[in-house]
Amino acid sequence: MDRTGFLRTPVAHMQLRPDMTVDQLIDQFRNSGSFGAGRLASACDIFEKMARDEECTIFLALAGAMVPAGLRKTIADLIKRRLIDALVSTGANMVHDLIEAIGGHHYRGHWVVDDYLLYKYHIYRIYDVFVPEEDFIKADEVLVKMFDEIASETEGKPLSTNELVWEIGKRLKDKDSIVRSAFESKVPIFLPAMRDSEFASIYTMHRERNKAGKALMVDAFLEVPELHGITSRSKSLGMICLGGGVPRNSVQHAALMTGRGLDYSVVITTDRPEPGGLSGSTIEETISWGKVKQKANKVMVISDALIAFPLITAAVLERLGRSFHRDGNP
Amino acid sequence: MTKTARQMRKVCGNCRYHNTYEYPEKVFCFARFVGRKRPVVSILFSCDAWENKLQECLCLEDHMKHKKGTRREAVSKREMKKRF
Repeated sequence: MDRTGFLRTPVAHMQLRPDMTVDQLIDQFRNSGSFGAGRLASACDIFEKMARDEECTIFLALAGAMVPAGLRKTIADLIKRRLIDALVSTGANMVHDLIEAIGGHHYRGHWVVDDYLLYKYHIYRIYDVFVPEEDFIKADEVLVKMFDEIASETEGKPLSTNELVWEIGKRLKDKDSIVRSAFESKVPIFLPAMRDSEFASIYTMHRERNKAGKALMVDAFLEVPELHGITSRSKSLGMICLGGGVPRNSVQHAALMTGRGLDYSVVITTDRPEPGGLSGSTIEETISWGKVKQKANKVMVISDALIAFPLITAAVLERLGRSFHRDGNP
Repeated sequence: MTKTARQMRKVCGNCRYHNTYEYPEKVFCFARFVGRKRPVVSILFSCDAWENKLQECLCLEDHMKHKKGTRREAVSKREMKKRF
């Protein structure tokens, strides 16, 4: 490239007005094109492209305490609109969805607090969000009984994590629940690290109550062919990742195993690539594995996902308009 | 009653199996739950499975304070009735 090639597009200074919509603000971010603002604008464009690509299966990879912090309804709405075709999540996020579905709450707290006093009051802290122990316990009680019921219906037949999640969803009434919405919209939810959450305690109690081979059987490997089935049937693959960890790699690995690679990838994280962990790995690094196509529409937004994702979603919903309809894939 | 003496009382609020259910009145007992017995009991309840563990939590202390307050409130309501 010659010298002029580096100096083609000047930075446009942001012009902010009192009556701006979210997408108009994102437009100003795009005109600046710099730092996090430029990346956020690119993420909106990529998510919009995914939504408009009728052949694209959109995965949401969900890690970090997004549900306790307030993204529950956003995710449930995206599922209902089929702007998410498959969800791969930590077990904990779904447990927190179930806590609210069963009547519990998460409370606004503070990060400067006497944690030992919280311990003495049976209150758990997730940065500046508080959860009372009784809300966990009440969810445990209901879910253990659900596990008992599902076990007696399935009679030892092993279930995948998605089959179990849909069984739970079938039994919930709360329309704002992610799990209930996924069951109604037939959107699969995979929990590759399900046991690394309150589900482990729920399962332990259920097993204690149902000895002699009567306990529920969940086969962690059954979701692998289910996930691969989705990636191989899909003509185009997209992923929005909040955080990283096991959910991000499960989606990327499914794309790799079917020899496809992702066509769209938006990763929102604050993690760094230098320690070598997957959560902070750059999308370019992912290309070397074949998990993302070299020519994919891709961007990594270095941000708190709780700020970036609602902004991206609001801008994309504004662009798509109320009448936009998506059947969902695959 | 001193705090230590209260902590030694054979009640669910001092038992290792307790979790809060309706703070500070009722607790949820996992041992009873897995045994398919009624799991939600008063913090002052106890059973044969009771295993004392020095509890750092404030349930029992708050329960006693709450009880005292309720009793005082009941007396004052009675007083009010007398007066009016």
